[in-house]
Amino acid sequence: MNALATGAADAINIRSLVKRFGAFTAVKDVNLSVPAGSFLVLVGPSGCGKSTLLRMLAGLEGPSEGEIAFVGQTVSSGAGGVIADAGRRNAGLVFQSYALWPHMTVAGNIAWPLKVAKWPREKREKRVREVLSLLGIDALAERYPAEISGGQQQRVAIARTIAPEPSILLFDEPLSNLDAKLRIEMRSELMRIHRATGATSVYVTHDQVEAMTMATHVAVLNNGRVEQFGKPIDLLRNPQTTFVATFLGTPPANLIGVRRLGDGLVFGETTLAPAALAAGHDAVQLLYRAEDVCVGSVAGAPSLVARFAEAAPIAGRTMVTAMIGELRVTAMADGYFTATPGEPIPLSFIRTPDAVFAATGERIHQ
Amino acid sequence: MLKRLSNAALAACFVLPSFAMASDLDGMTPQQLLPLAQKEGSVTVFSLSSRIAKIEKAFEDAYPGIDLIGLDMSSTKQIARLEAEQQAGVHAVDVLYIADTPVVFTKLLEGKRIVNYVPPRVANELEDRYKGPLLTQRLSTKVLMYNEKAFPDGSPVTNLWQLTQPEWQGRVLMVDPSQRGELLDLLTEIALHPDEMAAAYRAHFGKEIEVDADLQGAGEQFIRNLFANDLILLPNSDVLNKSIGDVNAKNPPVGFGTYSDRRDNEKEGWALQIANNVEPANGILFPAVLTVADKAPHPAAARLLVDFMFGDDTPSGGPGFEPFNVPGDYATRKTIADHPDSVKLGELKAWTIDPAKTAAARGRIADLIITLQ
Amino acid sequence: MTSISISAPSGSRLLRSGFLLPAILVAIVAVLVVAPLLRILVTTLTPDGIAAWKAVLVSPLSANLWWRPLLNTMILGFSVGGGCLLIGGFLAWLVVMTDVPGRRFLGLMATLPYMIPSFAAALAWGTLFRNSRLGGSAGFFETGGLGIPDWLAWGLIPTAIVLIAHYYSLAYTIIAAALSSVGADLVEAGQMAGAKRPRIFFGIILPVVTPALIAAASLTFAGAVANFAAPALLGLPVRMQTLSTRLFGMIETGQNERGFVLALLLIAVSALFLWLSDRIVSGRKAFVTVTGKGGRTKRFPLGAWRWPLFVVAAVIGLLTTVLPVLVLAASSLAPQSGALFSNWTLHFWIGEGGGEIAQGQAGIFRNPVLIEALWNTIRLGLVVAFTTMLLGLALAYTIVQRRGSLLATVLSQLAFLPLLVPSIAFAAAYIALFGAPIGPLPSLYGTFALLVIAASAHNLPFAVQSGRSVLGQISADIEESARLTGAGLIRRLFAIIFPLAIRGLFAGAILVFVKMVRDLSLVVLLFTATSPVLSMVAYRYAAEGFMQFANAITLVILVVCLAASLLAHSLQNRVQKWKSP
Repeated sequence: MNALATGAADAINIRSLVKRFGAFTAVKDVNLSVPAGSFLVLVGPSGCGKSTLLRMLAGLEGPSEGEIAFVGQTVSSGAGGVIADAGRRNAGLVFQSYALWPHMTVAGNIAWPLKVAKWPREKREKRVREVLSLLGIDALAERYPAEISGGQQQRVAIARTIAPEPSILLFDEPLSNLDAKLRIEMRSELMRIHRATGATSVYVTHDQVEAMTMATHVAVLNNGRVEQFGKPIDLLRNPQTTFVATFLGTPPANLIGVRRLGDGLVFGETTLAPAALAAGHDAVQLLYRAEDVCVGSVAGAPSLVARFAEAAPIAGRTMVTAMIGELRVTAMADGYFTATPGEPIPLSFIRTPDAVFAATGERIHQ
Repeated sequence: MLKRLSNAALAACFVLPSFAMASDLDGMTPQQLLPLAQKEGSVTVFSLSSRIAKIEKAFEDAYPGIDLIGLDMSSTKQIARLEAEQQAGVHAVDVLYIADTPVVFTKLLEGKRIVNYVPPRVANELEDRYKGPLLTQRLSTKVLMYNEKAFPDGSPVTNLWQLTQPEWQGRVLMVDPSQRGELLDLLTEIALHPDEMAAAYRAHFGKEIEVDADLQGAGEQFIRNLFANDLILLPNSDVLNKSIGDVNAKNPPVGFGTYSDRRDNEKEGWALQIANNVEPANGILFPAVLTVADKAPHPAAARLLVDFMFGDDTPSGGPGFEPFNVPGDYATRKTIADHPDSVKLGELKAWTIDPAKTAAARGRIADLIITLQ
Repeated sequence: MTSISISAPSGSRLLRSGFLLPAILVAIVAVLVVAPLLRILVTTLTPDGIAAWKAVLVSPLSANLWWRPLLNTMILGFSVGGGCLLIGGFLAWLVVMTDVPGRRFLGLMATLPYMIPSFAAALAWGTLFRNSRLGGSAGFFETGGLGIPDWLAWGLIPTAIVLIAHYYSLAYTIIAAALSSVGADLVEAGQMAGAKRPRIFFGIILPVVTPALIAAASLTFAGAVANFAAPALLGLPVRMQTLSTRLFGMIETGQNERGFVLALLLIAVSALFLWLSDRIVSGRKAFVTVTGKGGRTKRFPLGAWRWPLFVVAAVIGLLTTVLPVLVLAASSLAPQSGALFSNWTLHFWIGEGGGEIAQGQAGIFRNPVLIEALWNTIRLGLVVAFTTMLLGLALAYTIVQRRGSLLATVLSQLAFLPLLVPSIAFAAAYIALFGAPIGPLPSLYGTFALLVIAASAHNLPFAVQSGRSVLGQISADIEESARLTGAGLIRRLFAIIFPLAIRGLFAGAILVFVKMVRDLSLVVLLFTATSPVLSMVAYRYAAEGFMQFANAITLVILVVCLAASLLAHSLQNRVQKWKSP
């Protein structure tokens, strides 16, 4: 019990966590910690190790190395395996497949974990009614899972998970099987539940919008590593790698590869920024937010000619995507803008790049 | 082969004129039948014995140009199949070589699904009782058997009534008569001889038998007493022979089995022997009959085959009968000699069943047995 | 041009409308199952038949003819059904859901006993437990000085044990297929709830596979009720009669009407139980697993129990598989059937004819008929397995799709009945029904087709049951998502249902194949060619008293079945690439 190692016990503390499946390493040296009540989102593309990490948090898998502590208590470690098994960590998991038990009614699904936890009948029934109404599915209590819609199944799965009042809620891509409208609805629903329960939540998704809207903390995972961990706004403002920079943000930011020529950084024939931004590098990548690229010529700003691809109106402005050769660039135009696909349009870089990255992907700090 | 058979079935439906000749065919000699049979080309026989395969070869050698199609199946299945086929209007089989005669008598003969045919060539060499109502080719047995190794002085049983006494309690075996027709026939035959059973009772116990009010005669009383004495029922004769005949057995039981199984004594390590001197009888002789199916598609070939299976004039019966000439079974044809190693037919103390009489009494005995279990 | 484009979709609309398939199926089942049954029923309505009804139900005979055999049959049916669930279920759980060592080996062993004829298991029992009641040589234990009481040597208890040893593999096959489709998520959700392993097992896994359990129990129940060899060999010496031995006896002694009455009553009683079991798995509780992902199965670590449980499973396998095979093998090698383990010779397999042994008959592999029979057998088995499974799948599909409806109930009931109709009565009904030309259709008498049709109908229960338990596990939306693409029913069956259900289908096909390869009664009445099938060759030898040859052929049949099963196994793995073996 080396539980009290950290003074202020974080709700979740992950130290040097490694998970290997045979020769394949799914999770590589992950370190994270979040305080109680946080909403931690693990985001990353498919196969980045985020689900494995979640399953280790749930106690369904044991780590190969490192350890996991909940509120100062070590629950898993590379040496001890799963120390506190899934049922004893006071955590609940919402499965991507919902994993509703098909032979039990909705009420039965919700009540069963409480039965297992030996809640007295009255308290149990009261709690079932509570979560049913919290999720707005009172009417479905006596239905079987096969008899209700996908969105309803989702709610039942959540209700079942929060019923035992876990202090940690784990979500494995819970919204991925829902349609777009329902997804947005459930997003705020989940936030509401998160606040209502006061539990610490860990949420796995590949959807960066979900991550940015819901999280208090975001960990961007790639190839089993944490690329960057922090508050969503920090990650957005100060991405430490090109992966984070391009993975987060709507509309997506632009990365433009340039080379040093004299004291300028040059793309094609055009100098975009002063070479001082990339001291010691011959070739770098410049990060421009979409709002920093403007459709049309602006006096004094470097400009490139691109071929128009598509346009989408957003909040009174227009997001324009255009191609410079094979490079896809997103820019903003004032008002409503449109053009024929393939038509040449000028793009102006009206501000200095937000960040500069080495060719290998890491941030260059001045 | 399949195609040929279904063609035969079809042919049967159309070649009606040949039926008109059937009665004429009955009087023909084999030589007269042969050209007609060769024209028919084939003959199909259902056989209770797989030894039909040997007959097939011998027949085709003797009468080239006639293809014998032999299918071996149990008597019960022959009856089921013939009934079903004829109900469907299919006439595909010519000859049945079949036992279970009481059932054959009621279901097939009375139902006019078969006709009795006696080959003129051998008619004079058969007793009348073997010529009708069904033509008997040979006789098999269900008789009392004992272990000659364990009882070297001869059969321990000399009177059937001994079997109802404590000495033989739980030591008399029999294939379940509610499962096998021959054994039912055996018990029926015992019931059909009430006077002889009563006399044997008197001889053994020295007093008159008292028959229960619900029973008819001493034979039925014997059946009841036998069952009450823990008669052990078996599923098949294999188990029976093993149990009675084992050469190493100390105090083996006795039972009603097949005399001819004795031929396997050496091969199987048995010491089976017939208990012949038993009052009033040691069991039954029952017939295996050859009969021609109604509207047989190959009437001439069918008759030729029946004739053939009564063998030639030699004492062994020649290739047409030899496959069936085993010690313990008896040819009905007088020219065929009984096997030298076995009790002569004339000396065998077994009753020969009469299919018609047995058929009439069989139901009552079957019911009696059911109540006794 | 227009007319074509209109007429084409209307045809497929008809197919899609969902009435055509059920209508065709109802017609097929009516012809295949109802017609023969009706014919049997009609036979019992003649004066003789009425007398038989009276004799069976209200006469001094009825106690021994009907009630006691019924009681024995039901005791046997329920104890065998229960025992098979326990043993088959235990093995299925062990093989599918745990990390027990040698899982493949155990799984293979568990599928074998059904391929070994039940009489071999009964013989094996006799070899070990036979006591002095019958005289002759005693069994292994009694020779060793251990007295075996009658109740352990003969009667209900040994019969039930032998039948369980024979039929549990049927339960195993069905339950294992169902368990392997229980998604890991369902189990993990239970773990997250804090449930301990037994709680998860009884609270989640067991209820989810209930349809398969019911199916397994029904099949083993019906199998036990219909089995003849085991109760005859082990029950008759103590005068224990079951309905099947009674039925066989009635037909064998020419009392067909009584036999048919018993068969109809047996069908009625069994149908009642099957109907009750059907109630359990139909209606709202006939759940489909709600899952988008799934496919992954959870394997529980057994820890210290790994090896002890392996030993238990291996011992079950050895006793029920290896022992009967050894007895069969020994009896095909021993010249004297009374002394199984002495003077072994290969004569009955490869010996040349003309010697002292076996009246000069050559070994089976020198019998030219054998090779032909082997080929016939395989051909028949394959064709029947294919047609049966095709029909079974279509029926199961309709039953699952329309569960709860009258149509589904009727179909599922009817599809089960052939199991309880004695082969001989079934075959006779078929000859009578299809022997004559029907309208423009020619007579099917004596054709391979008739044999296939009858055999398909006779084996239908296995196909429908395995089809149902498999389809019950395929979630409706998978099928519906295919329907949304506009794929027609046939297309869906082949592109979606078939690959997903292939494991269960193969399992069912193997059962049908095995049953077909072994089933004598049906074949002997319907097969008209002189070139026989293996079971007929075995019968021929047995009728001659050459049990060694017969047992050697039984072993050959076993090898054929085993090869078929292994082939199906590898095929299944090839089709279901997404499932790790």
